[in-house]
Amino acid sequence: MEPITIGILAAILIIVLLATGMPVAFGLGLVSIVFLAIFEGVDSLSVVADTFFAGIAEFSLVSIPMFIVMGAAVASSPAGKDLFEALDRWLTRVPGGLIISNIGACSVFAALSGSSPATCAAIGKMGIPEMQKRGYPDSLATGSIAAGGTLGILIPPSVTMIVYGISTETSIGRLFLAGVFPGLMLTALFMAWAIYYAWRNGFDFKAKIGAFSWKQKFEILPRVLPFLAIIIGILFVLYGGVATPSEAAGVGALFCLILVAVIYKIVHPKKIWAIMSDSTRESVMILMIIGSSALFAYTLSSLFVTQSIAEYIAGLEVNRWALMAMINVFLLVAGFFLPPVAVIVMTAPILLPIILTAGFDPYWFAVILTINMEIGLITPPVGLNLYVINGIVPDISLPTILKGAFPFMLCMVAGIVILCIFPEIATWLPEKVMGLEQ
Amino acid sequence: MTLFIKSIQNLSKLCGILAALLVCAAILVDVQMVAMRYFLNMSTIWQTEFVTYAIVAATFLGSPYVLLIKGHVNVDLLPHYLPALPKKILAIFASLLALAFCLVLTWQAYIFFYEALEGNWLTDTIWELPLWIPYLPMFVGTALLCLQYVADILCLAFNFEYLSILAAPQQEGE
Repeated sequence: MEPITIGILAAILIIVLLATGMPVAFGLGLVSIVFLAIFEGVDSLSVVADTFFAGIAEFSLVSIPMFIVMGAAVASSPAGKDLFEALDRWLTRVPGGLIISNIGACSVFAALSGSSPATCAAIGKMGIPEMQKRGYPDSLATGSIAAGGTLGILIPPSVTMIVYGISTETSIGRLFLAGVFPGLMLTALFMAWAIYYAWRNGFDFKAKIGAFSWKQKFEILPRVLPFLAIIIGILFVLYGGVATPSEAAGVGALFCLILVAVIYKIVHPKKIWAIMSDSTRESVMILMIIGSSALFAYTLSSLFVTQSIAEYIAGLEVNRWALMAMINVFLLVAGFFLPPVAVIVMTAPILLPIILTAGFDPYWFAVILTINMEIGLITPPVGLNLYVINGIVPDISLPTILKGAFPFMLCMVAGIVILCIFPEIATWLPEKVMGLEQ
Repeated sequence: MTLFIKSIQNLSKLCGILAALLVCAAILVDVQMVAMRYFLNMSTIWQTEFVTYAIVAATFLGSPYVLLIKGHVNVDLLPHYLPALPKKILAIFASLLALAFCLVLTWQAYIFFYEALEGNWLTDTIWELPLWIPYLPMFVGTALLCLQYVADILCLAFNFEYLSILAAPQQEGE
């Protein structure tokens, strides 16, 4: 059988298997062993355990559970609430300061926790009722938090970037840097849209200003600054060449656990267990998908599927931007149904050769891919952030949240277009800090 | 049968605790390694491998626990729109398929472990850790994963829904 035909069959079988509701990790694994057994014989199954094991036993992957522990520690504390309050107190005189506080708090918290749903929950619990109280429309209040939460996978440190780095063998340090300016750009786009929308609807910013004394402004800082110090510290040790991502993540995790214990008195064994069991659940889920995707990638490659698809697409000689548009649509659709990590591990090894052949930068592409995944987080049917927000403010209906989130989705599409026109937004910082890649 | 299901669920929970402890241990050793290497300028021998294999062990041992609390991510779009009976049949079918993969993985993991033990394989580092040690959690974890699937399928087939509700994650942190 032609490798391309095998590839198409594998894709169909995956869609069918995942539609039954079986876990992504085991669905990928099942497809792999079925194809190995049929096309290479039952004896070829002897690679299964080795490949699965080797897919996980990688020191750089250690950073994933550690960053997750770090995020879970922060998410279990009222740090999100304090972050939001601090920004609100300091930005109170800025027009639309509350929206800026919300989206700003989302992007900082997202950087810390690396998790989109956690960000929505932490900032939204405080921010949405506050926006409602000061008269912002429900759709805007919920939409801005849903969108702000997605920044978690773009702004470093980001678990999805680590997964991309490992499955494409690109530098995680560079990937993190590539996400910085696009993340800030999206934050600015979100803020601009929110302020414009409120202004166009005749929202009176001046009447809604709260007043805070300097004492109030300063007393909250000691609870917020240590967490900012951790993010800056992690980025500093990563780029100062002091430590690898896995080492920085371990130190960050321990510091965050200590900080929530000192600042928020989270020391009860049950609370610590809640943090650990939560992060174990998420890490195991992600690492099992990574293990079986290693098996999946091995299968496709040993049946020459990966190579044939890359050759086939290179042979089509389509315009590279038409190709990029097709890839974007494909990723967008995949992101509607699958969580970011699953999309990345399944598609990155196949897409990367195509991207490189077409002359695109792999780090720039990581950013494009991530923004596509962000869109998937705020669109149905599996837009996780929408459901998280629906859980926090059950009085606001899902269609209202969706209506509020839609313009922000368009902001992300605009972000992708801007990045296509000015790829330097993603590529400038990594080159500036780490030099050109050899 | 209730006893059988309950024992498996407790075993899975135990593994979950073990996995969380392994993650804790990995964090501590990671920090110790950073301290030794960068602040005391000493070279480290076993830490990198320990941390890596601890996370691998946590992944495999944690897997049955994550299955118990329905934490393995899936696409539940089709089941969501199905009426009760077809939904149940589909859930059993999906679990059987997943079990099939897990059985193959367990079988292969056993062979892998057995060969490493018999052949006295060592890691090719200074630490020279016998490889059966990191391979063992893979076999144990996947074997328990199979058992947890059997328990899940029994729960589904005989409507022991209350058992899986008992093990819901909300109950854990209290």
